[in-house]
Amino acid sequence: MKSMLKQGLLVAALTASAAPAAMAAECADADRVPITWSTIAGFYTDAMASLVSGFEAGHCVKVNVINIDNSQLYNKQVIEMVGETGAYDVVTLETSEKAEFAENGFILPMTDYFADKQAQLDDVAPTLAALTTRYKGDVWGLPYYTYTAGYIYRADLFDDPVEQEAFKKRFDYDLAVPTTWAQHHDIAEFFTRKAGETLKGEALTKDFYGVGLMAGPFPEIQDEMSGVLWSQGADWLTDDGTVPVDAVEKAMNDYLELMKYAPPAALTVTYDGVMNQMKDGQIAQTYSFFLDQWPNAVQTENTVPGARMGVAEAPEKKAYIGGFLLAVSTSSAHPQEAMDFVAYIGGFLLAVSTSSAHPQEAMDFVAYIGGHDAQMEFARAGGTSTLMSVLSDPGFATPESRTKTGHFATLLEIFDSMKGFRSNLFDTPFGAKIYNTMQIPLQSAAAGQINAREAAERLASEVEKICGGPCPIGK
Amino acid sequence: MSQSLSVPTSRQRTAAGQAAMSDRWFSILLVVPAMVVILVFALLPLAYALDVSFRFADLTRGRIGDFVGLDNYRTVLHDKAFWDSAWVTVKFTLSAVFLEMVLGIAIAFLIHGATVGKGVIRSLMILPLATSAAVTGLFWRYLYDTQFGLINYFLGLIGLPEPNWLGDYTIALWSVILFDVWQWTPFVALIALAGLQALPKEPFEAAELDGASTFRILRTLTFPMLKPVLFLVLVLRTIDSVRLYDAVAVLTRGGPGTVTETMTFYLYRTGLKLFRMDYASTMAIFFLYAMLVASLFALRPLLTQFSSRASEG
Repeated sequence: MKSMLKQGLLVAALTASAAPAAMAAECADADRVPITWSTIAGFYTDAMASLVSGFEAGHCVKVNVINIDNSQLYNKQVIEMVGETGAYDVVTLETSEKAEFAENGFILPMTDYFADKQAQLDDVAPTLAALTTRYKGDVWGLPYYTYTAGYIYRADLFDDPVEQEAFKKRFDYDLAVPTTWAQHHDIAEFFTRKAGETLKGEALTKDFYGVGLMAGPFPEIQDEMSGVLWSQGADWLTDDGTVPVDAVEKAMNDYLELMKYAPPAALTVTYDGVMNQMKDGQIAQTYSFFLDQWPNAVQTENTVPGARMGVAEAPEKKAYIGGFLLAVSTSSAHPQEAMDFVAYIGGFLLAVSTSSAHPQEAMDFVAYIGGHDAQMEFARAGGTSTLMSVLSDPGFATPESRTKTGHFATLLEIFDSMKGFRSNLFDTPFGAKIYNTMQIPLQSAAAGQINAREAAERLASEVEKICGGPCPIGK
Repeated sequence: MSQSLSVPTSRQRTAAGQAAMSDRWFSILLVVPAMVVILVFALLPLAYALDVSFRFADLTRGRIGDFVGLDNYRTVLHDKAFWDSAWVTVKFTLSAVFLEMVLGIAIAFLIHGATVGKGVIRSLMILPLATSAAVTGLFWRYLYDTQFGLINYFLGLIGLPEPNWLGDYTIALWSVILFDVWQWTPFVALIALAGLQALPKEPFEAAELDGASTFRILRTLTFPMLKPVLFLVLVLRTIDSVRLYDAVAVLTRGGPGTVTETMTFYLYRTGLKLFRMDYASTMAIFFLYAMLVASLFALRPLLTQFSSRASEG
């Protein structure tokens, strides 16, 4: 009887697993349900193209991928959502956009859809899941890519005995991966050198800089500063929905201090510019930087003779061992303890448009792309997965895989360190607008046009204008 | 014979009346397509923008909302960023148009005086105009690049300072101006050259016979005769410069900070980043009003000249 039952279950399982493939095989092109996915033009989409084919092979669906430049994606999607055009079934959202889309009814909650797929939801890195999938108790989609911040550096410089000795002599402690932002500052200062001076005992043919910064007119300067601000126990928005001017001023001043050790091009570049500086042998380390860029950063080993890259958690992680509150407001009674375990966390979320004509198929697509198999394939292609099962897969921890997935172990550490973290910036329906505006005063200060205090006050004023007063926080 | 020529006066009037009616309707018919296009693509959007400027309209919080009177106008008038962007636009327009006019006219004179290669030079001068600023702007962004750009590379070779063209807030606007001058000076030059080549030769020959100096010929003959053409190109370039968007979007995104944020870029940011269509529409109305007033003043002499020529003809 037992064996019959086993056989029956096996047959049922095989039938169930073969059903979508069989259905797709039987599906004529004309019968396919069309869904449209608006997403970011460039690497992410290229890597996803084969995954789309995989989904189509198993479902009677035709996925039209609309590639949109990252700077225009938010605008395009909002316009289509407001117009309820149904042009996009599946949308790609940045972390700060989730609350706005959910609050305004632009996207459908997927809580019911995932009710019987809890295991899949649980596989998403918990910190990331809290920030990207959930809003006011509902699940709004799945993240498929994370650009969580960490620290990328030239390990060969840190390991060089000449540099180690000189550093020790100057700062009276060992040159190592920084555990505090003060140490990070020292390292930036130490490695900033003029052409003609020596680095690793060899004369430099061009200026060398201690740190690469993303202070260009793009929404990245705030990503760099987020980790630092959060590690101070502050946030971009207090629980009252206002900008903590003093905390932002302090983070801004720290940033301005580092600007002295960054290439002049810092004022015009974004992440790819910093990576170009790294690959050109111009910089020693990043600030709080997107770890998904590891496959790009590691190319430095091919372009700069003798270079060896390293990746680690951003400073402050190990400053206060013992952990405490992870998401902390400025009114925290324990700001020092709160400084532990904080880096910038973000990811791209796939969600289903309310005006989708085929929401079921769209949700199936979201579940597929954010699912284990697709994420494994994505990781093999160099993408930075959001699933714990993928990030911890032993296959990605091998030396052969290092150039593509060498940052996975660090990501796991960061997610573990930041369990339970939330930012009010991601929990206000005005988050996207704030995020798209905040780089302006911050960059003005970085360029020297205004000082840190003015930048913080201007940011506070802009945010108040955007929200029409204190910003609502919808946790 | 005489009978066949004599048509009754009443019939003459009727036929003339019908012809007149027919001509009138025919002319209206000719104008209708253009008017429909203007109505659909200019006047209706304008009326809609006017309507929105009196309402609350945050697109991300639903559709066009309630009537708010003059609130949006008050907000925009008190918005420092709006006035800053207006000032950036004025600085850009005055500088760029001045440089383009001076250089363009100078180049036109040089080409006009050239004996060989005029055709080739004219063809080459069309190149910057043939591509959109969004595309050429990308090339210029790389030319301006502090670390990998060609401009700084050559400056470095000859030992000159290597500025941070797009990152230094004291010179970023000038970098945008330089790009605009590169792109639009040929336009001014080509129009001025066409004007120069169309001038009659006789007055100049007479002036030469009378022994007039080059400066005097330029002052009393060339420039007065070129004035309508130069004025037209001045107006066209001014209008185009005031609504500058693409070069800023590609080169600087309004940065560093807001030092290169022109009115149209700020309008775009307000409307399509913050989705405050109410403020954006209000700014657009201000912008349109300013342009209308400026155009009326600027075009009046030109229109007067044209109408007097038409009446003489």
